[in-house]
Amino acid sequence: MREVAVPDIGDFKDVEVIEVLVKPGDAIAAEQSLITVESDKATMEIPAPGAGVVKELRIRVGDKVSQGTPILVLEESAVTAPASAPAPAPAAPKPMPSPAAPGPAASSAEPLTVKVPDIGDFKDIEVIEVLVKAGDTVAKEQSLITLESDKATMEIPSPAAGVVQEIRIKTGDKVSEGAAILVLKASAGGVPAAAAPAAAAAPAPVVVAAVRPPVPVEPQEATHAKPHASPSVRKFARELGVDLARVKGSGPKGRILHPDVQAYVKGALAAVPAPAPAAKGGALPFNLPAWPDVDFAKFGPVEVKPLTRLQKLAGPNLHRNWVSIPHVTQFDEADITDLEAFRKTNTADTEKQGFKLTMLAFLIKACVTVLRQHPTFNCSLDRNGENLVVKKYYNIGVAVDTPDGLVVPVVRDADRKGVFDVAKELSEISKLARDKKLKPGDMQGGTFSISSLGGIGGTAFTPIINAPEVAILGVSKSALRPMWNGKEFAPRLMLPLSLSYDHRVIDGAAAARFTAYLASVLGDIRRTLL
Amino acid sequence: MAELDCDVVVLGSGPGGYSAAFRCADLGLKTVLVERYPVLGGVCLNVGCIPSKALLHTAAVMDAAKALEAHGIAFGEPKVDLGKLRAFKDKVVGKLTSGLASMAKMRKVAVLQGVGAFTGPNRLAVEGKEKTGVRFAKAIVAAGSQAAKLPFLPEDPRIVDSTDALALKAIPKKMLVVGGGIIGLEMGTVYSTLGTRLDVVEMMDGLMLGADRDLVAVWQKFNAGRFDKVMLKSKTTRAEATKEGIRVAIEGQEPKLYDAVLVSVGRVPNGRKIGAEKAGVTVDERGFIPVDSQRRTNVPHIYAIGDVAGNPMLAHKAVHEGHVAAEAAAGQKSHFDARVVPSVAYTDPEIAWVGVTEDEAKKSGVKIGVAKFPWVASGRAIANARDEGFTKLIFDAETHRLVGGGIVGTGAGDLISELALAVEMGADATDIGKTIHPHPTLGESVGMAAELFEGVCTDLPPQRKK
Repeated sequence: MREVAVPDIGDFKDVEVIEVLVKPGDAIAAEQSLITVESDKATMEIPAPGAGVVKELRIRVGDKVSQGTPILVLEESAVTAPASAPAPAPAAPKPMPSPAAPGPAASSAEPLTVKVPDIGDFKDIEVIEVLVKAGDTVAKEQSLITLESDKATMEIPSPAAGVVQEIRIKTGDKVSEGAAILVLKASAGGVPAAAAPAAAAAPAPVVVAAVRPPVPVEPQEATHAKPHASPSVRKFARELGVDLARVKGSGPKGRILHPDVQAYVKGALAAVPAPAPAAKGGALPFNLPAWPDVDFAKFGPVEVKPLTRLQKLAGPNLHRNWVSIPHVTQFDEADITDLEAFRKTNTADTEKQGFKLTMLAFLIKACVTVLRQHPTFNCSLDRNGENLVVKKYYNIGVAVDTPDGLVVPVVRDADRKGVFDVAKELSEISKLARDKKLKPGDMQGGTFSISSLGGIGGTAFTPIINAPEVAILGVSKSALRPMWNGKEFAPRLMLPLSLSYDHRVIDGAAAARFTAYLASVLGDIRRTLL
Repeated sequence: MAELDCDVVVLGSGPGGYSAAFRCADLGLKTVLVERYPVLGGVCLNVGCIPSKALLHTAAVMDAAKALEAHGIAFGEPKVDLGKLRAFKDKVVGKLTSGLASMAKMRKVAVLQGVGAFTGPNRLAVEGKEKTGVRFAKAIVAAGSQAAKLPFLPEDPRIVDSTDALALKAIPKKMLVVGGGIIGLEMGTVYSTLGTRLDVVEMMDGLMLGADRDLVAVWQKFNAGRFDKVMLKSKTTRAEATKEGIRVAIEGQEPKLYDAVLVSVGRVPNGRKIGAEKAGVTVDERGFIPVDSQRRTNVPHIYAIGDVAGNPMLAHKAVHEGHVAAEAAAGQKSHFDARVVPSVAYTDPEIAWVGVTEDEAKKSGVKIGVAKFPWVASGRAIANARDEGFTKLIFDAETHRLVGGGIVGTGAGDLISELALAVEMGADATDIGKTIHPHPTLGESVGMAAELFEGVCTDLPPQRKK
């Protein structure tokens, strides 16, 4: 017995187990993958250090593991596991080919001499092929040898399942009824109907090869799984972009015919796609036309580049949030003339300490102040959409643009941190994000998010809510604008605010109050003290 | 330098290339076909499939005439006029290539003679009598392959490849065939009928690898008389050209003297000879150009087909790919989704196979059922005095759909098409067995093999009940 733990996996801690590839009782080979873990940067498979049988699993999908975390208990096998399959596909760990192991596995009955059975009026027929060899495991009815007379070829099947101990015949021999073919040690377990030692003679021969023995293998080869459709139907399906594996055939023996493909397309156009995975309840179907299929290369040179891993991960989430949350975006602006002046007077200080005092740090503090006043913006809908979960902590997510895509690290407990602390933390997490060193934990637990495009430009935009949060603040580029102060137009530095909110939770008036209050806090930062 | 503008340029005019070019033209694309030789048709028409069949046919008729002695018809020893035979072969080739040239003209395909190579992603230069540039929107690379060489063999007119062998310069007394694949054994058959004694040396442990052993065994037994020695798992290490002949050293054997050595050790794709890098087209380390199911290379407006696009290197695969690529270039949604590509050795008897082989099924563990109909039970085969063959069908064990098969016997290459069609159509044993096959034909053996699988064949001894 041996406990298998997570080996040195580099600089990772608390990586999530996304897949467990073995289960108790599985026979595994050395180097076979046991579990798959996923960090924000990579997926990796942890291989078995040796061969054996899994006794007990110590982890589950979703667990966070680090170096040294126990994975499972392995009963090591004395013999090396089948060397023929060094790296089995991770998804399908193969069970040990059960009856195949020669020797100890087949504890069993008396050895059986298999003889040439009654083959009709034939004598001295030539053996043209010996299909098994000593050590082979054979199934009942499996062909052992092929005989060829001047009239026909026939194969002699095995009368029982077992392991071939000795071959008594060779290619070229002339045989008749009763000639010994081989000695078979019938297997006790595994193969049914093996315990029939009395039946010494094999059943009558088949004139052709019988069905090949069930070799322990992966189930089906691709050619077999292919849909039953002729080339013209396959061509037709290609033209319409139909996956024939999904089409039910109405022809003889389930053959897919032209009308089946047409019916499938009609059905698909009229069908209800999977309802949006949002809250339960009667989701309406999106009856969308097919995505335009354009051969871009027809119009000029193109290059196909895969989405980055980050984009692939983020895309479906963004899409879900965008279609399933009723977004409304409230626009407002804040006068940050004084705040900007205040920030500037303090920048020298922080730069000495090695970080920048950014407007974003003030924004975070200001948002926390507003969130305290408007707790519905700091909550989530529970899973069944019936309760609000109001959070008593203020973790602010900050969207950071990286070359690979967007990430949203979280500044935790922003209510308990000073502006300098927040600014310092921001500069650290932005660097981590750009260096791709953020850990999954750094991006979890947010209660409200800010997406700032102020450094780049724009006057307003409509950010997508980072579910299960219910609101996100978008910030565009501040600009000096003439503002009427009652007597005259004065130049003021105005910051555009775009607040997207979940209309199921927040109504328009609340959102307007939120941005108005936020603007007033940014207008006079001393309000954060109130 | 003159420059031509076109929608599609096709590089190479072998069966894949001309099929692609003609299909492009038929789809309304302005097409240029580049060929380095003065005649169209590539290896297949000029120095491959067609001339070898002209000679194999001649050899087969000679052998058949001789066999008639047993039927009481004797012709006496044949008189061979090599020059005339060569002329016949050249006439066959000429008829086909000139046919191609006139069809190119009828389709208004511009044929450029010269060696073509890319100079950029949309440009090709052709070095012929003069240099011509081609500016293209799409390109189809059909540059083919050439016979692989053994580096240790000296340069000597008596050491030949299949192209030289087809030139039919002389009939050597004793020839060594290096490489026991289809090409070597076909050429060996021709020469042996014309009087040459053969030895074969092959590195692997069987002749015509790829075909099931039971098929090859029948051929080997029938042809045993042609060979003095078949050396398997043997490596040719050295050869020395002497006045008396070529002295060849084979591992573990005494060096032996041959009048000629035919080298047929495979073919090498021409991917590296076309300036692919200038167009940004990826070529793998063996010289193949990787393609997708539309035969697009990594550069989306450049396609590759035929030998240069991967194994198997067969003309009929190239033609099919040529059509796919041409249609894809014309914006159609054509894909290569044929399930099987048949293979044929035009030896005597012929060996043909398609789809899953028994050997493959054994290795991959796919469950199959096999039915083998021996030609000793075929009236037609017996009447032809050629009943050594058999027809084997390989079915999916569960669905009983045909997934492959093999035939050995006269005309096997012509019979295999029915199996290929059945696989493509997803026909099962009943479909094939219930199709009426004319009697007495060799094709009947296909229907009977299916009946055998079903247990309803009445042309063989009664079967054990399943």
